[in-house]
Amino acid sequence: MRLSELQVGDRAEVTALKSESAVRRRIMDMGLIKGTSFKVLRVAPLGDPIEIFFKGLYLALRKNEAEGVLVRKVGEPSELVGQQELEEPLLKSGGRV
Amino acid sequence: MSEGKEITIALAGNPNCGKSSLFNALTGAQQKVGNFSGVTVEKHEGYIDYKGYRITVVDLPGTYSLTPYSPEELVTRAYLVRERPDVVVNVLEGPNLERNLLLTTQLMELEVDFLVALNMMDEVEEKGIVIDIKQLQQLLGCHIIPVSAKKKSGLDALLDHIIRVSQKEIKIKKNKLFFTPSLEASVDKITALLSNQKELELYNSRWLAIKLLENDREVYQEVQHYPVWVKVELALQEALRDAERQHDSEPEMLITEDRHAFIRGAMKECVRQPGEVKATVTDYIDMVVLNRVLGLPVFLLVVWSIFQLTFTLGAPIMGALNLLFGTLASHLRPLLPNEMLRSIAIDGVIAGVGGVLVFLPNIVLLFIGLSFLEASGYMARAAFVIDRLMHRFGLHGKSFIPMITGFGCSIPAIMATRTLKSPTDRLATIMIIPFMSCGAKLPVYVLLTGAFFAPEVAANVMFGIYFLGIAVGLWTAWILKSTILKSDSEPFVMELPPYRWPTLSSVLFQAKMKALMYLKKAGTLILGAVIIIWAISNYPRNEALDAQLLAETARIASSAAGDAEKQAEQKKLEYQVNSAQLAYSLAGRAGMVIEPVIRPLGFDWRIGIALVTGLATKEVVVSTMGTIYSIGKSDGESVDLKSIIKSDPAFSRATALSLMVFVLLYLPCVATLGVMKKEVGRWKPVVLYSVYSLSVAWVLSFAVYRIALFMQ
Repeated sequence: MRLSELQVGDRAEVTALKSESAVRRRIMDMGLIKGTSFKVLRVAPLGDPIEIFFKGLYLALRKNEAEGVLVRKVGEPSELVGQQELEEPLLKSGGRV
Repeated sequence: MSEGKEITIALAGNPNCGKSSLFNALTGAQQKVGNFSGVTVEKHEGYIDYKGYRITVVDLPGTYSLTPYSPEELVTRAYLVRERPDVVVNVLEGPNLERNLLLTTQLMELEVDFLVALNMMDEVEEKGIVIDIKQLQQLLGCHIIPVSAKKKSGLDALLDHIIRVSQKEIKIKKNKLFFTPSLEASVDKITALLSNQKELELYNSRWLAIKLLENDREVYQEVQHYPVWVKVELALQEALRDAERQHDSEPEMLITEDRHAFIRGAMKECVRQPGEVKATVTDYIDMVVLNRVLGLPVFLLVVWSIFQLTFTLGAPIMGALNLLFGTLASHLRPLLPNEMLRSIAIDGVIAGVGGVLVFLPNIVLLFIGLSFLEASGYMARAAFVIDRLMHRFGLHGKSFIPMITGFGCSIPAIMATRTLKSPTDRLATIMIIPFMSCGAKLPVYVLLTGAFFAPEVAANVMFGIYFLGIAVGLWTAWILKSTILKSDSEPFVMELPPYRWPTLSSVLFQAKMKALMYLKKAGTLILGAVIIIWAISNYPRNEALDAQLLAETARIASSAAGDAEKQAEQKKLEYQVNSAQLAYSLAGRAGMVIEPVIRPLGFDWRIGIALVTGLATKEVVVSTMGTIYSIGKSDGESVDLKSIIKSDPAFSRATALSLMVFVLLYLPCVATLGVMKKEVGRWKPVVLYSVYSLSVAWVLSFAVYRIALFMQ
């Protein structure tokens, strides 16, 4: 599934980066690489771009740019319980619940 | 200062890592802002005298990695690779070590002499994060000095270590980052090919090899020049095949992943994060500021506040400055006996310098507001909120910052486009800025709406004019981006930095630097322009008129009339002669030459003159009209231009509307054109722009004039 298809509040992990090379480079330089878990925080008031959070970084990117980021959803927000939550690097770096 | 006791250091780090605060804490007031050679990227340089050393500090633009993505990052890399500062200080944001370390791994690859300033230690402690610095030093192969730029702690230790590193008294062994074995083999192979090349001596061969494997275009172009390229290219292709076969990936990806793996390992070994999770201040603020419903209203409120700050606070200072220059002129007048000297000094220099300085309070206030937004972290969020709209017109969320600056003055606005990475986005933004109605055009609207519209309608008319400017600007952007500037627009991948409360001194400092830049750039240009405009509105002189003035003055003086009457008559005479002189001058003739062209817009040659002189700065349109329209006014009392044009048969409501539209859209002032040329680097776009803006102004004024006439 693509990052652009996620809903606000979803948590996911990057499985592959298929964006055009300059965008991919940029995304990787920001620290979003294969294996990084992140959370979708919000969508801008006008519907685009979206904001995600990982490793203490608030990153905004257009849906167009988010299309090239393939992800795997990590559990439904409602089933987030104990163990899995603790393993989330997201939570270790001062993020939100 | 003895030789050898000078050290040059460069600060490198991610954006928002507190690099600039550290720079300010280190160098204090001893700073200067210039440009890196050949590019429009600001170079902040300062120095500090410490223990007998003069340490020059260069604050490199913030960058996430050494693979260049933007002009700023290119500059950072070029500086590190080519200029080779004695010591590189890698500034890391303590609380967010993990993602800051990517740049550190790349400094390791570059094998420069560097050390780490672990910044924001106060926050690290507050958050309960524990960092094993000793262990981390071994892994990164460099000294790590905990500092807090905010609290100014650890700075002496940092400076001591900088000196030690520069003297090569380093105790810690440099560490190397090894890649996946198959990739490492490719790196080694290419390194070996490059290492005995004389031409590439300047570079570290291993670094070159890694960059080639990362498909770095700049490095490719460099190495391609040399015969060794044939072999290198083969090796690269082989590496590509290996990566494909063994890892189903590309060398570029593998390298990045290995760097991150190294970082993850280092984090696991050296950093203990507290288990508990707290939502940060940033999270709470953004719940409101970036809220789906509230986001736009907050954005509008912020923009509105900046305007209020600029214009409401600025207006009295502006008035005071105007008064000051007026007083200066009137005191200077009797002191200068020579007619021509007086004219140059008062109408040329004081009017010119005054014209620049009068705008300074507004500009300083605007910059204080913008610096505050930038330093607080809101600016990136504003781009986030408005990007969708801007993108629809082919622009970038970040284009809006220059655009709102344009309502103050086009010059700083054009300078502010430097934040845009894509050249086409930047050019398109520069081209629409002059359509954002600048502060100097305001007096023209005030005069015309005041004369022809009831006060309650006047504000709406003025709003309409501003709105028209925005509409034409966006339309222009859309046209440009879907035709001649059609190319990849800049992707929107942007960090929203955590909110920080900016320190007053840093905001003021930023504003001061920008204001100085404005003064330097605009000051020289506007001054030059005003003097030229002064010259063409005064020369050639009609000798006969001068003689007539003398003769009539003598006649009035010797006439039997009372003093008051004499004065009135003298004033009337001077107005007449001055206006006739203006008509005789080059500017006047230009006005008459262009009259047939502007006739369809409802303008006569007198407005033509005002439009020509208005190229100096737009508020000159008003003062020129003041001079010309005084023709035939015999009362000799203070000239109220508003009532004069109101009663002038050549002027109507339709003319006023048409003139406002024309002033809004036609050529920007010469200073703006000059800055445009400087920032774009070529004349062609500027010339094309001039033709375009004149055409748009003409067509729209024509339309407005005809419609208004029809409605009347």
